[in-house]
Amino acid sequence: MGGVGGAAIAPDATGEIVVALDGRRELVEDGAAARLEDELGRRFPGRRATVLVARRHTGEVALAPPGGSVAPAAATPEQPAAVTTAGAIPGHESALGALLREGVQRRAAAVALVAAAPHDASADWLGLLLAPVLEEGFEYVCPTYLRRRTDALLNTGIIYPLTRALYGHRLRQPLGGEAAISLSLATRLLDDPDWRRDPGHAGSDAWLVAKVLAGRHRLCQAWLGAWPRSSGSEEGARETLTRALGLVFREMERHASRWQRVEGSKLVSTFGAGGELGGEAPRVRVEDLLDTFRLGARDLAPVWALVLPPATLLALRRAAVAPADAFRLDDHQWARVVYDFAVAHFVKTMERRQLLASLTPLYLGWIASFVSETANLDEPAAEARVEALCAAFEREKRYLISRWRWPDGFNP
Amino acid sequence: MLEQTKRIFLESLERVLNGVARQLPGVLAMLFILLIAVGVALVLRGAIRRVCERLELDRRLREWGVVAPAAEGRLSPSVLIARLATWTVLAVGFLAGLSAFEAATMSVFAVRLLEYVPSMLVGVVILAAGITGSRAVERSVLIGAVNMGLHSARLLGLGARWLVVILAFGIALDQLGVGGRVVPVSLGILFGGIVLALALAVGLGAKDVVARSLERRFPTVPKSLEESQEEDEGKLHHL
Repeated sequence: MGGVGGAAIAPDATGEIVVALDGRRELVEDGAAARLEDELGRRFPGRRATVLVARRHTGEVALAPPGGSVAPAAATPEQPAAVTTAGAIPGHESALGALLREGVQRRAAAVALVAAAPHDASADWLGLLLAPVLEEGFEYVCPTYLRRRTDALLNTGIIYPLTRALYGHRLRQPLGGEAAISLSLATRLLDDPDWRRDPGHAGSDAWLVAKVLAGRHRLCQAWLGAWPRSSGSEEGARETLTRALGLVFREMERHASRWQRVEGSKLVSTFGAGGELGGEAPRVRVEDLLDTFRLGARDLAPVWALVLPPATLLALRRAAVAPADAFRLDDHQWARVVYDFAVAHFVKTMERRQLLASLTPLYLGWIASFVSETANLDEPAAEARVEALCAAFEREKRYLISRWRWPDGFNP
Repeated sequence: MLEQTKRIFLESLERVLNGVARQLPGVLAMLFILLIAVGVALVLRGAIRRVCERLELDRRLREWGVVAPAAEGRLSPSVLIARLATWTVLAVGFLAGLSAFEAATMSVFAVRLLEYVPSMLVGVVILAAGITGSRAVERSVLIGAVNMGLHSARLLGLGARWLVVILAFGIALDQLGVGGRVVPVSLGILFGGIVLALALAVGLGAKDVVARSLERRFPTVPKSLEESQEEDEGKLHHL
């Protein structure tokens, strides 16, 4: 995509910082960009900071100064003016392509994609996001947020364990939606042929994370304080699952040759103070979740039978008839379910949106099991529970590799 | 006596031979047409199989939920289409061959059937498309209904499937000119009745739910950040 050559460009010590403020138009507050520029000036003195706002015009994304409007720049054969991709914000195209282009054109030392939402004022979140790139020489910073145990359950139950087992890096919240990227990585990402070959997926947060994890770049994660809630959406379980997991499975397909060679996982450098968000957690109606799971086990069995082996179907059927207080989904079973759906997505056993939508009752069942199990646990014990789940995903990876290579092989 | 018998025999033989000679070109023409039809059918079958393989039709139909993987080994859709095309060409060839005869009644029958063939083909295509689409619709409705927590999901899926099949069947009958105005009127009554029943059900039983859902999706007054966060409190955030 880029007009810039493939060689890495060394950042200079006083290089500019370019931040793209991305979010729904109504969430981009007046003066938010100016406040961010002031904050960056205080935190990184001597560096010029530019905050731009992502504007969407007829399905394309371009960066503009706050308050200004912009028409997408004219395209050249090598460098599309704006790229339409699946973004971190549901229903919005990604601003990553526009940010990378802007950063490389300005030869900025670091670029950051930031959600247009109030962040945790008690944390030096902007400093924590950018300092690893500007001061520690990291190429990519993945944001991680303090959240309640019952928040981001798709991340806890599928995305984190799956990404960790696949690529071998323990990124706690891989699809944060925000990111800080060095100039050298931005240049390489901009040169990636996926912008032309697969514009529908290039630029999504799953694409970015998979590129970084599969490409052996210097990466780290930073705890940025409490989760900026408004960057979330009103998406339900089905919509979130279909969108986010579809992107993750697509990247899985793209990097299959890489992740099949990875074994185990290792810690990544972490900045900031992590943990769980305090306060009272919202009450999860486990009975409703179980109802949907049981309904799925009853009515979607013929659909699941196309994806899951008989042993798993039997285990699910048994789980469905268990009383609510004894309901549990085994970690290894759950890992296999996720892997079987990944394989079915890869071999296109059925239409992909339908496939992912049919996973929803299973996912809700897993939530019911996880919430029941961790309801009375303290924070370290709950984290240990997540760790056990991740370990199960790592142990079952051989199953995934075998099914991925021989999807039609005997699988009782 | 012998002479008379011989004459009668020769005359009848001549009549038979004349008859055979009169029919022979027709028979030969029919055989020739049939031969051409067999050739065309074989070529067409090969071509259809190759095109289906190239388009990965079996996989796509399996992906859309039209055929179950278990049924694939027995008779794949591409084989079915190839066979259908083969037999259609053979049937058309046979009818064309029949018309080569001089027999007036047979010829009129064959000509009428031949004229009917395009309508029949269109009807078959419509029916096939309807059945194909109905299975995809059934699966989609079933999954959607389960995710919405509707306990009659299977019934809804089945209902959606049969509605599509009935619609396709009605259109196919209309295309064939069978049933006259009865088919469109019946379909109109059926679908009109369903829409009216749904409208009554929503209007009487779920108007508050619909109003709340619409308000959530298209808010009349933009919410402040605090309001959004307050509303967020009880929700389950998946990502």
